[in-house]
This record gives sequence, structure tokens and C-alpha cells, in this order.
Amino acid sequence: MSKYYDIDDILVKEEYVPVLFHKTANGVTIDPSAETNCAEQGSKVDIPFWLAHELQLRQAVSINLPACFDQKTRLEVQADAAYVDLRSRCPYFYEFGCKLEPLVTDRTLGILLSTAFKIRYKEALTKVYTAAHITASKYLSFLTKEETNCKPYRFCHGAELCLTI
Amino acid sequence: MAGQTDPHISLFSPQEVEFMAEDELVEIVPNMNMEQLNFISGDFGRFIPQIPTKVPLWLAVALKRRGKCSFRPPGWMSVDNLTQILEAERESQSTFQALPFSYVEIARLLFDHAHDDIPDKYMVRSLVEDIRDVRLHKLETNLGSFQGTSAVKISNVSAMEVNIVRPFVRRALEAFYKHDKPEADIDRDTRSSRQQREANNEPRRPLRQR
Repeated sequence: MSKYYDIDDILVKEEYVPVLFHKTANGVTIDPSAETNCAEQGSKVDIPFWLAHELQLRQAVSINLPACFDQKTRLEVQADAAYVDLRSRCPYFYEFGCKLEPLVTDRTLGILLSTAFKIRYKEALTKVYTAAHITASKYLSFLTKEETNCKPYRFCHGAELCLTI
Repeated sequence: MAGQTDPHISLFSPQEVEFMAEDELVEIVPNMNMEQLNFISGDFGRFIPQIPTKVPLWLAVALKRRGKCSFRPPGWMSVDNLTQILEAERESQSTFQALPFSYVEIARLLFDHAHDDIPDKYMVRSLVEDIRDVRLHKLETNLGSFQGTSAVKISNVSAMEVNIVRPFVRRALEAFYKHDKPEADIDRDTRSSRQQREANNEPRRPLRQR
């Protein structure tokens, strides 16, 4: 409840997830490929996470993993996590994964997140934090929103410190 | 933006850190007579000419600016001691030498207000700056060595250095803690249900077959 007004939390929940409907939903136009205003039983639709979560609590849908956590991303993270462009997959990669983790049947999501973060921290985040602006900027475009939050205004504080003596 | 995670949490400005350092006690030699001063933080005095007394740094600076005392530089601020500390800092890659918690701020205030009371002031000044650079560089390179723990212990880090890395380290450790918890749960579940657990998604050589 403490995150109700948190903008980041609201944006995370806006991300789309693919779901499979177990019951028919009448009078809703959430399925753009359907002919009628219904989501048929057994149809696969992309809906925002906040809606998917609620529907799953009522056992009307089952949630599948979205594309940003698919096998391609996993292989890339295994190969070289520091250079994977997570921002273009999903700017809230870690937060989204944490929210999905209790809802999907895939048990390896948590490990994917933690190993990805550990490697990226070691390779990219520390370099972004400590290195010159030029080297840092090439990593900046890959970082998710959570990772860029780790690095607030370090440069101006370093400069301020130099000026104090 | 209201509601967005505030990037300035737990960050003090350098001026605020200096303000907090001004409570440190330093030794002065007054050149006037004054009665005891009674403050909320304690009683200081009596001030007798040529008798050294310990007072807080803010009071010492105030007296010095009025020409009522002279500073006795702290013991750690001698050229020999600082040279020794600088060499020790350069030698070891992961440990920090013991220095007063607010050495940066004390040194800076003394250079600003009492530079004539410090013997070899240029040498001392350059030594302090070198020590600061080495320590800061060491701290920043050691940031990459967190192995995904949620608590890190580094001894002998000073107030200014802590202040610089505080937001970054805090968020990084929070993220580590958040992402490590589900891993612990998963290990418990799958070890009980399956004999052989394949380590998915952990970094491994790409050609290894399973």
C-alpha cells in the first residue's frame, strides 16, 4: 500500500503481459483481434499487468511470461549480462520481474534477475559511477530505470568536493 | 515529480557534513582571560593565557577569528604521520588507515582559518589532498567487489567519503537484498523436490553442454 502513489510502481504495472483466458469475458474490447466485444475462453490476449493480476486472483486468466523474459534474453544475460540492452526490452526489468515472480509457474525468474543484477552491478554500474562521463555514457543507454536510480548526480558532488579545498 | 523515488534521500551536502564535524574537540592556546562558558553541549573554560584547553571546533574557529587564541594542530596532522599514512594507503588495496572520522573537514577548517599555526603548511596540505585522493579512489574501486551481499563492512572510512558513496551503495545493497530473497526461497523449494538441481541462468561458459 505504501507504493500506491509511487509513479515508478504505477508505470511498472502498466507493462503488458500475455494471458490466457479461462473464462469468457463479455462486453470488453481488450482483444483487438476478436470479432465481437468478447474475449473468448482459451484466447491469448496482451493486457496490462494490473488487470492481469486482478483477473488471476479471480482465476479468470493464467499469466504467461512476457517477451522481455524469454529465452533470447536469458541466453544474452548468460553470455554477457553487462551489455544487454535491458532498457529497450523493459525499462523496469527488475521491478516487473519481482512482481511477476509469485504469479507465474516459472521458478527461475528470480535467479535470472539476481544474477543479471549482480553481473551488471559489477561490470556496468560501478563503471558508470566512477568513470569519466564519456565511458559512462555508453553504458547508460543499457541500464534500466532502477539501475540509473542508483547513480544520482555523483558527478556534481565529486566536483563540489574538489571545490571545498 | 511527486511520488517518484527521491534521488536525494540520505544525502548530506558537503557543507552539512562540515557543520557536523565542527563538534569535534581541538586544542587551542588562548591569549586572553575569560570565564568558563556554559553551553548545552558542555562547559568549556576557564580560558587562561598560554594554558591549552580543549574546545569544539566551531568555538575554536570563532575565537581564532576574533584573534583570541591560536590553534595547536592535532597530533595526526604532522608531516611525518601523514607521510606514513599516505604510504600505507598506497600499499594496501583494500584496507584504510585509521584517521579521524572528520579529518577532511578538520583539515580544511584549519587551513582556512589557522594556516599560520600549522608548521609546514604547504606540505601538510598537499599530503592531506593526496591521502584523500588515494582513499577515494580505493573506495570507488572496491565498490565493484560486493558479491551480492546485503551488508558490507569497511573500516576506517571517513565522513566525507561515506557521504559521497552513500546513495549509490544504499540503493545497490537494497537491490541486492531484494533480488536475493527469491533465490533463497527457490533453492529451498527445489532442493526438497528434486535430487539434482540444474543451475539455470547462472553464468557459465557458453559451450558447456548439459
